[in-house]
Amino acid sequence: MNTIYPARKIITMNPSNPEGTHIAVRDGMILGVGPLEDLTGWGDYRLDTTFADKVIVPGFVEAHAHVMAGGMLQHPYVGYYDRPLPDGSISPGIRSYDALIERLREIDAAMTDPAEALLAAGFDPIYFADQPRLTRHHLDRVSTTRPIYLHHASGHLATANTAMLALNGVTADLRVEGLGRDAQGELDGELREPAAMSLCKSAFREIQRANMTHQAIHYFGALANNAGITTCTDLGGLSILSERSLEAWRTITSEDSFPLRVVQYNLPAMPGAAADFDALADQFVALRHTQTERFRFGGVKFVLDGSIQGFSALLNPPGYYRGEDHGQLLAVPDQLKAWLLPFHRAGLSIHLHCNGNRTQDLAIETIEQLLKEVPAPDHRHTITHAQLTTQAQLRKMAKLGLCANFFTNHLWYWGDQHYEITVGPERANALEPCASALREGVSFSFHSDAGVTPLGPLHTMWCAVNRVTPKGRILGPAERITPAQALKAATIDAAYQLHMDAEIGSLEAGKAADFTILEDDPLNVDPMAIRDIGVWGTVLRGRPCKAAG
Amino acid sequence: MIAFTVLGGYLGAGKTTLLNHILSHCDGRRLGVLVNDFGAINIDASLVANRNGSRINLTNGCVCCTLSDGFSEAIETLLADPNPPEHILVEASGVADVRQLAQYGRAPGMSLDGIVVVVDARTLPAKVNDKYVGTTIRRQLAAGDLILLNKTDLIGDDACRDHLAWLQREYPLSRVLPCRNAELPVALLLGVGSTREPAAMSHGEHEHYATWSFTSEAAVTRTRLERFSQQLDPSVLRAKGTSAAATGPALLLQAVGTRREVSTIEHAPAGTYLVAIGLQDQLDTQVLDRLAADCFSPAESG
Repeated sequence: MNTIYPARKIITMNPSNPEGTHIAVRDGMILGVGPLEDLTGWGDYRLDTTFADKVIVPGFVEAHAHVMAGGMLQHPYVGYYDRPLPDGSISPGIRSYDALIERLREIDAAMTDPAEALLAAGFDPIYFADQPRLTRHHLDRVSTTRPIYLHHASGHLATANTAMLALNGVTADLRVEGLGRDAQGELDGELREPAAMSLCKSAFREIQRANMTHQAIHYFGALANNAGITTCTDLGGLSILSERSLEAWRTITSEDSFPLRVVQYNLPAMPGAAADFDALADQFVALRHTQTERFRFGGVKFVLDGSIQGFSALLNPPGYYRGEDHGQLLAVPDQLKAWLLPFHRAGLSIHLHCNGNRTQDLAIETIEQLLKEVPAPDHRHTITHAQLTTQAQLRKMAKLGLCANFFTNHLWYWGDQHYEITVGPERANALEPCASALREGVSFSFHSDAGVTPLGPLHTMWCAVNRVTPKGRILGPAERITPAQALKAATIDAAYQLHMDAEIGSLEAGKAADFTILEDDPLNVDPMAIRDIGVWGTVLRGRPCKAAG
Repeated sequence: MIAFTVLGGYLGAGKTTLLNHILSHCDGRRLGVLVNDFGAINIDASLVANRNGSRINLTNGCVCCTLSDGFSEAIETLLADPNPPEHILVEASGVADVRQLAQYGRAPGMSLDGIVVVVDARTLPAKVNDKYVGTTIRRQLAAGDLILLNKTDLIGDDACRDHLAWLQREYPLSRVLPCRNAELPVALLLGVGSTREPAAMSHGEHEHYATWSFTSEAAVTRTRLERFSQQLDPSVLRAKGTSAAATGPALLLQAVGTRREVSTIEHAPAGTYLVAIGLQDQLDTQVLDRLAADCFSPAESG
């Protein structure tokens, strides 16, 4: 029997039939959107009024997130901004060292084994730039006996307390350069980069491995569902290299209750993976034949540089505004085309992580060479992050058919830091140039890069529409886009980027019955309120998945 | 203490040639090689005994591994071997930050033996100014204790002289050496092995290099050893020494390029043993004799 859902409003993202009041579904497929009388002709139906006072939009598609979003929340979160948890509650942002110490003391008090290490994640020193660095002495105020390891949001730093350093035999006479020191040469507890971080071996490894647990995947599914996402990438999955990871994903996504369609983009170029990329491309194509409704293989991702806030993105002149340039390519430019070629030739979609615009020059030049060698009229290869994309790059990308996946959440989470510290006013105003991409004809979506920022398409949309920073700046008003343009980027255009736009991304007869159920209309609320719209949950292939909490 | 060396250099500079040269001339030293790069490990087929997943066992007892599970894990796996290597060698990827990688060699139980960076003499000027990798290559060169200007046979003598002078001027904390096919004495590249006689260095093909050594039955103080290391003549490319009394902890001196480090180790043979390596036409053994006499004479207090 068919199900027909009445709603306050249904926004379809199908230009031929933009809005309706009812949507009819059969066996997980949309029969149509319209007034009730247009839908009853499909046969017997059950009228389900659950969403009668709500707004239905196409299921959100997140084209750049990581299972780490779930993995990291297996440890307490102590970041600067609020973070939604899998159970629907919020872990409040930590705005001062005192609040950090207080929070860690509560966790310490609740732990039963006095020898067990306390691990926490998400701290970011860039928000405490006006204060002395956090040191082991702050953490010693939590405990002088329990080892404590604070993993920073960047993944490149950690702070350990004295007990954690002692447990691992990390002493001042070690010459490891990443060990932070005070003026007297004593260790201050800061560990920079993996060589120093891994000195606190068990803590370091537990953090690294948190993303490989079954719970990480369950949490990931719950977080996405709570944010209204029906299709989410794990952009940097390992299943192409790890049979164990592959099995975990297959098992969990095959559970009936799993609320998310996951699209894996694998990282072929993991350091040290002695990889024959021709064989990997074949293997990947073979994996696509094994994909299921909720576990898909999208393509491959290559990480080409670092981050802007870490000063490790490779920038064109005039370079960084303040702070030392640590710009670094993570791929050998002369090898890049050869790396990409097997995947391109196999018809796989390629996403290239470029935070710096110099890195993006390399990506664009390489794709151009690739396309001259092996023409592919509908490749949809994507520059992901693309934060400092210039006008010239947009013009070139449009010609080459490259998509952009902008990291719009940066406008909020690091917007003030980009303006004041990393790239300065002009380029901070030009970050994530959505309006220019529209004008130049570059198809784009935007992303959270979760767990770097929380999963939440309403938030990434809100950033693209308002471009407001925590200090109240509007970064580049000329690059703001309308709520309707933002909703398009979060749904059908993200689906397009994943080569899934014939199946998902809009509410259209014959497509998957994937909806996001909202408490209000994102196209009609005050634009500044878009991120606060309540999410009831989703419908995934016709199955309602109510958000937690 | 496990010695730790990083081999860096951009694509095509000759890192793999250098690695194969070292593996074929390591004279019984047990090396564990970690390859921090993508693609196949190119070890000379004549050296390979067998392959086992990501691990290649060599006929001379050395092993090569790729990093499938992170750096510290790979090192731990190597050290957990029933017959662990005495020296770990990392072949870095072409764009790696070799200085960062070298920090693994300063973990407890490890001793950073050196950072060796190879450059292709033919492409040096272009690569250090390259839009994409220029800063990365300059960063690698700045980190190198030893910079090997490789493939000098493929450029003219004048160009070679200019490149050497430019490198030495730009990177005064490094020592720059010309070579062909990355052929240099292994004792210079990897230091003098921990288990062998200090003076041992194979000659013959390396007639350009000379060694100096010093032996004494007495142990010296840390202050004296540090003074000796700080006054070592710049013509010393490599030095190593131990000093120990009959009981108690021992001292280890390591010098490579312009870096000199004295550290405490658990034990060493009683007495003081020093060895230094330099270019034949530069190493002044008389100066070193005088320095040793000056620093270590019983009359001298300290």
